[in-house]
Amino acid sequence: MKKIILALTLLTTLSFAQVKEDIAVPYIPYEVKMGKNFIDVQANCLSCHSFGYIINQGPQSRKFWAGKVKKMIVHFKAPIDKKTANLITDYLAAYYGNGK
Amino acid sequence: MKRRDFLKTSMVGVGAAALGSSLEAAQTIQPIDNRRVSKVAFPEKRPMITYSDRPPLLESTRDVFAQGITPNDQFFVRWHMPEIPTHIDEKTFRLSVNGEVKNKLSFSLDQLKNDFEPVEVTSVLQCGGNGRSAFKPVAGGVQWGNGAMGCARWKGVRLRDILERAGLKKDAEWIGFNGLDNAAYYETPNFVREMHIDELDDHVIVAFEMNGEDLPYLNGYPLRLVIPGHYSDSWVKMLSNLTVTSKYQKLFFMDVAYRIPDNDCECEEPGQKFKTTKPIDRMNVKSIIGYPTNNTIVYHNSHITVRGVAFDEGKGIRAVVVSTDNGKTWKEALLDSGKEGRYAFREFRFRFKPQKHGKQTIMSKAISLDGKEQPLASQIKWNHGGYKYNGVDVVTVEVV
Repeated sequence: MKKIILALTLLTTLSFAQVKEDIAVPYIPYEVKMGKNFIDVQANCLSCHSFGYIINQGPQSRKFWAGKVKKMIVHFKAPIDKKTANLITDYLAAYYGNGK
Repeated sequence: MKRRDFLKTSMVGVGAAALGSSLEAAQTIQPIDNRRVSKVAFPEKRPMITYSDRPPLLESTRDVFAQGITPNDQFFVRWHMPEIPTHIDEKTFRLSVNGEVKNKLSFSLDQLKNDFEPVEVTSVLQCGGNGRSAFKPVAGGVQWGNGAMGCARWKGVRLRDILERAGLKKDAEWIGFNGLDNAAYYETPNFVREMHIDELDDHVIVAFEMNGEDLPYLNGYPLRLVIPGHYSDSWVKMLSNLTVTSKYQKLFFMDVAYRIPDNDCECEEPGQKFKTTKPIDRMNVKSIIGYPTNNTIVYHNSHITVRGVAFDEGKGIRAVVVSTDNGKTWKEALLDSGKEGRYAFREFRFRFKPQKHGKQTIMSKAISLDGKEQPLASQIKWNHGGYKYNGVDVVTVEVV
């Protein structure tokens, strides 16, 4: 009987928090295209979001990508200067562009 | 379509044509539906469609919507900020209440669970951008298919009860909600949401349980705001702070993101942003077929039970109708008892015997108690954020 009570107590305690340790969010190595200015993309974009965000948009116009970079600077306060912003846009338009 | 609407539409058409080919004409199609689940499973989740690991963005597959309650380990995940606490100590965690209140308080999880009347609500949680991949040209944001939604039984305490304990001051007008997720840069706006005191009803709860379990970390453990009928952008996760103010605070995620054109059609032409916007607010009427899924092979003359879910902002679902002849005729599906309440998924089922070989479409359309019904995808007009897609669902199977 004592054993049974112990087992029950243990069960109740466990049900309070399912995860008592750190959870580990997996790292996904996205197959991102290498090319000119990639280093700027890596240095500036990855601090806030994975390459999944870029790939998921599909091929887009230069204007679309320029707008995205601007949004990161204006609304999300990414510390990216004008020159680097252009380099990043060049990369996005070249490797994730739709020719427009 | 009313005559006036028709005139408006044709005017827009002429306008676009006059501008020439530089503008891509807007059209709305079915959201992308063939994405595969990732090989990698996230904590407390089965492998799901994975758009990003940081912040985590996970989508449920269509088959999940053959049932009215979405399992926790298949429930979609959407975070805005890259820094999410990976450990929360249930003993030291506190929910703080401050601002325009008589008593600034903070509650432990135990206090919330034991010192308040527990309440339960079954409610759909849906991202405002669910189905965004239907919009062409591409609308900015995660290109979700149909699975940025789910329905769970949420248990917690009424927000009103918590605020009453703290006592609102006379000039209290707005409640700001903040969670424990953080941006990479100090200057980046936090994901803070605000609600006007008038919107506070007894259905708004601070939940500590989801489908009888702790909330999964990725769904906001240990506390999450639950606002039935409203899109999930207001359902702050890892809720740690309530600040009551007398004035509205300007916030990116309230004033810029999650907004749609403030006109009747909630639409605009690509490249010509409508000048005034409004929050996406409440969910529109929608149904999704969970079974069969696209490309399922079924036998000629076999018996198929089509299953799916339907919901709206909480007015209630009057009917779900199904068409197997590309929308020429519609028949009523059977609805479940509705015992989970007006904010929950209503399960529907429809018996069907395919008579012809080859491709066969199955379409579902939900109709709400206040008479709203799902438009065809092609009738949905574009908005720059790709919000509130609710097209008639279409699944194509192969009859052999």
